[in-house]
Amino acid sequence: MVGATLSRWSMSYFAVALACLLAGEALMVVGFGFPSAELRAPDSLVLVHLIAIGWLSLLMFGALFQFVPVLVAKPIYSNTLPLPTLALLVVGLTILVGGFLQLGGRIPALHSCFSPAAVLLGCGFALALWNLGRTLWQARPLPLAARFVTVGLLCAAATATLGFVFALVLDGSASGPPLADIATYGIPVHAIAGLSGWLTFTAIGVSYRLLAMFMLAPESETPRSRAVLYYGTAALAVAIVGGTVAIGMGGHPTAFLLVAGLLGTCALSLYGADILHLYRARKRRKIELNARMAAIALANLAGVAVLSVVLVAASQFEDQIGAIVFLAAFGWLTGLGLAKLYKIVAFLTWLECFGPVLGTTATPRVQDLVVEPRAAKWFWIYFAGVWSATACLLLDAPEVFRASAVLMLGGTTGIAVEIARTRLLLDVRPELRILHLARRPALLASQ
Amino acid sequence: MMLSPQEEVGQRIEEALRLVIDPELGLNIVDLGLVYVIGVNDSGGARILMTTTTRGCPATSFLKDGAQQAAIAVPGVTSAEVSLTYDPAWKPEMMTSSARVQLGFGPDNDT
Repeated sequence: MVGATLSRWSMSYFAVALACLLAGEALMVVGFGFPSAELRAPDSLVLVHLIAIGWLSLLMFGALFQFVPVLVAKPIYSNTLPLPTLALLVVGLTILVGGFLQLGGRIPALHSCFSPAAVLLGCGFALALWNLGRTLWQARPLPLAARFVTVGLLCAAATATLGFVFALVLDGSASGPPLADIATYGIPVHAIAGLSGWLTFTAIGVSYRLLAMFMLAPESETPRSRAVLYYGTAALAVAIVGGTVAIGMGGHPTAFLLVAGLLGTCALSLYGADILHLYRARKRRKIELNARMAAIALANLAGVAVLSVVLVAASQFEDQIGAIVFLAAFGWLTGLGLAKLYKIVAFLTWLECFGPVLGTTATPRVQDLVVEPRAAKWFWIYFAGVWSATACLLLDAPEVFRASAVLMLGGTTGIAVEIARTRLLLDVRPELRILHLARRPALLASQ
Repeated sequence: MMLSPQEEVGQRIEEALRLVIDPELGLNIVDLGLVYVIGVNDSGGARILMTTTTRGCPATSFLKDGAQQAAIAVPGVTSAEVSLTYDPAWKPEMMTSSARVQLGFGPDNDT
């Protein structure tokens, strides 16, 4: 068969990921962690990892198990490994959260949670990377989008490895230089590898293909898109490899991070030009909600870049790093993630339910599974919450931030309900539902 | 002009293939220009050469099977074989003008 098949467990990844996002937003509403606490406080680390691993990484893995085969036109290496991978990641994350709660004195520390969490999360990431890496390896030479994803996966490996070192140092299983130095000074490198490398660079790669595919825009490798790959890869290599080596040799990674910042800004500027071209050159003039909301998320990414430059110029970057990370995590990555999730769930549900009866009877369109005007309202509420919350962080107004988090939580809940309704075919007109012929979908797994 | 029996069956197959929609674009595969060739031999064996809008699309196998099921149900067809090709790759310009209008192609984007 030319192409891909349905990823059996992606829906489970998406469900757990959404639950983690809702939990994280609920914690912000009640004032748990940043900005009510310091960014590096244990409570904030609970929040950060719930979002970074529980929401964004699970969402990304669930999407990649389905779409890496689309990018390379080869089937996934294993369609059974994603389930044990998910179990390892969820249990590992739960124990990691327990470790941070111990660190903050919120639960008793009879046995440290960090080492078992590191082992479980390390195994989970390793299994996911092995599965996706083997799929990519058998598809060489790789198209451009897949090369972005490959770099993103290498950054995921770096992020997980640094996290593993931190965990061992935190519970005393490892000590002394260079590991203790890496645990002390390596947090920015860990954050950059995760947020910029693993999550952002992978999302950029996938966006090149998915946006072109869904908007009927010309899809081609250009010198500019290759420059995005090269500048971005160079930026990540300087930050992660250079930064880690500098720390290991007893130095500080600041100089490496500055050079990486310059290279990364070049990559983002070129990517912005590519995306503008993609939207302008699209053949499909009436674009769907997911593409419109992805455009808002991309504008937020541009906002992250502009805000960073302004804050560096004003010597406020370090003081406002929380606001920048927040806008990147919720305005850009979560915005894009929710927009694409809204589309992917409808698309996969259609394939699962109506694909098998294609050619035998009239079938609904993917668009018949959703009610876009209703969902659009929730997306705007979500984004309004994100912008308001970012402003609160910049203006140091943590109480108003919690009110903004209520908006984010409300918007996300609305989007999650819309996605569940899509999965259960609740919005398909009865005459088009043909459930006597089509498969009834399971909520959490594909058949 | 008189059509040969094979050509008549071919036309009926084309009509039947309109039941198969590309789920993403919501239009049938004939109007989208995804069906390149329909051939019918003397014994009613049908061969269809088609493509998908994007290589590696998860809907590929469903579209191929759907085309096969639609063709085999046509009276006069004794067997139906569907093959995929990406040479030439599909382009939006291959759609019929009505399909382009339905997808909202602006006049400046019609070429």
